[in-house]
Amino acid sequence: MRPLLQASLPPLAQPVIVAVALVYLVVVAAIATWAASRTRTVRDFFVAGSGIGLWTLAIAKMAATLSGFSFVGGPGLVYAIGLAGVFIILPGALTNALGAWVLAKKLRLLGEVRGLLTIPGAIGARYRSPAAHGLSAAAILVAVVGYVATNLLALGIVIDAIFGTGLTTGIWIGMAIILTYTAAGGILAGIYTDVLHGAVMAVASLAVFVFALRSGGGMDHISRTIMDADPAFLAPWGAAGPMTALSFFFVFSLGSLGQPHVISKFYMLRDPRQFKWYLLLMSLALLVTQLLYFSIPLATKALVTTGAMPPLATPDQATPMFLLRFTPVFVAGLVFSGVAAAIMATVNSFMNVGAAALTHDIPVAMGRRLRHELQWGRLSTVLIAVVAAAVAQLSGTLVAFLGIFGWGLFASTIAPALAIGLHWTGATRAGAIASIATGLGVTLVGESLGYFRVYTLPTGISVSGLSLVTSFLVFFGVSWLTRARAAAEIDADIRLVMEL
Amino acid sequence: MKRLVLSLVVLSCLAVAAGYGAAFLPGPSRSWAPWCLAIGTPGMLLSLMALGALRRGRLPGALGWTFAATFLWCAAAFAVSLALPAREGPGGPLLLGLPLRAAIVVYGVGLVPVLILPFVWALAFESLTLGEEDLRRVREAREAREAREAREAREAREAREALEARSAAGREAPESRGGAPD
Repeated sequence: MRPLLQASLPPLAQPVIVAVALVYLVVVAAIATWAASRTRTVRDFFVAGSGIGLWTLAIAKMAATLSGFSFVGGPGLVYAIGLAGVFIILPGALTNALGAWVLAKKLRLLGEVRGLLTIPGAIGARYRSPAAHGLSAAAILVAVVGYVATNLLALGIVIDAIFGTGLTTGIWIGMAIILTYTAAGGILAGIYTDVLHGAVMAVASLAVFVFALRSGGGMDHISRTIMDADPAFLAPWGAAGPMTALSFFFVFSLGSLGQPHVISKFYMLRDPRQFKWYLLLMSLALLVTQLLYFSIPLATKALVTTGAMPPLATPDQATPMFLLRFTPVFVAGLVFSGVAAAIMATVNSFMNVGAAALTHDIPVAMGRRLRHELQWGRLSTVLIAVVAAAVAQLSGTLVAFLGIFGWGLFASTIAPALAIGLHWTGATRAGAIASIATGLGVTLVGESLGYFRVYTLPTGISVSGLSLVTSFLVFFGVSWLTRARAAAEIDADIRLVMEL
Repeated sequence: MKRLVLSLVVLSCLAVAAGYGAAFLPGPSRSWAPWCLAIGTPGMLLSLMALGALRRGRLPGALGWTFAATFLWCAAAFAVSLALPAREGPGGPLLLGLPLRAAIVVYGVGLVPVLILPFVWALAFESLTLGEEDLRRVREAREAREAREAREAREAREAREALEARSAAGREAPESRGGAPD
């Protein structure tokens, strides 16, 4: 994976774009203030009191799933390597169903039977293991700081481009905005602002898709233009080859089972029976929002090929340059607000998950429960935000390094122990701990070796993919070796949830 | 049935691992490595869905067929794209606006499952996925657990209070003995 944004955006300080962005911020502030006034308990703060409805869940989950990468970095990647870059979003048609069948019901029922707040909590309860609980929380905390830092840097770039604040000021302004509503209202404020974020992202994506097709003369014409000039671009694996593309598909499909900021939202649905239409809503919302990711790089490639657009300085310029040249300024403003929206939604969820790991999971795993958990939750949210913002402005390369392994670290440390463990009574505590430790170790060591150029993996192989498949195999292998103890490690109520 | 589904998950995972492992072998890249991922990844995805859909060790036939068909569809889309010769140059065939091989992957894997799986999920939801009886059992389990935890907490509190009372009595006894005239 590459960082969210690799280069600065072109200046966007046009009155209409600034006005749209300001209106957007005012609406976010109003929603956040309203939601913050309703946050009274630690359950409200971390799981929205398990009281949100189906539409809210689907849109908020979609908003948290897609970061700013989907609007700028992702289209830039497709522009650079062709259709191989699409394999990051291609699994979306299957991953929502995967999450629904494998996790939705089990997590919601675990929340019902145990009052759980977090994903490490579910792992700890499943294996009756403070070690598995604490280790998965520690892995989440490591990844959260890097993820939040990367997203704050991206938000700083967007704010700088719109308001001309300078990057450092932009980072801290962005951090302050998100922190204000996250620390005050926790995930409850985040969920309701995410509904706005998600709606803006979907509308913006749909509008841009129409403009992209029109500007390129329709899909047939876009494809013909590209095929004449660069046939490899529209090969099914793009210019990167089948191993890279299929490796993306593996990591971003199976890895979706381990993204705590997304799957923890399954705890939040008011009535588990509402899950019936969740999959349809979520799939449609995600499909619409991904249209931009697919259409902008193809249209831009065709337009650059025909000379209707000048060559891009960097691939990340694909989205902003296309918007500024081929869409009405109001639509451009909406999309840039959508970019900020996507980043804010993701950061809010990460801050909340990180705060839960710090103030709930790690103390509980160590046998101590903090008093005044709500206040500690708010304080740790501030701490994570400030540390991440400081990291974001320290060094671009450090941020890129931290941001790279977030997805893979979540995936390899959480997916096997949680997704298979909730369905297989033969999975053991030792298997879960070994799998989490393997995911943590392989990801950190592998990414560090690659970053410092000590060792480079063969073409098409990513550390994320390697650590994910290794942690799955370790999980199966160690569970099988220690299977004699498996049945005794499951509490009766957890066994009931596993059977249903 | 659960054993079979779990075996499919493990086999698919091994296929993916073999694909990755091939990249580390010396010499030129192995042409079969992408095939391992092309079959292994949909295999893992759909067998995990089947694992999630099992009820008391059984997978209803309709769901089983749906998952099997979706796996075959996705794996076939990847396989056909790997097997077909590249014809993305000038004048190559288009399908719904994309070159043939790209269209098979993008529409086949990225779109078609959205038209099937959400409806199968919704249709199966009440009878196979989550019913009133399930919720009642979960709520009973929660109440039983809460009652047990409350009882344990009460017993622990009573034990603590009894211990404190005994130690207080122990402290008072020497004081009263010491204060008494011989």
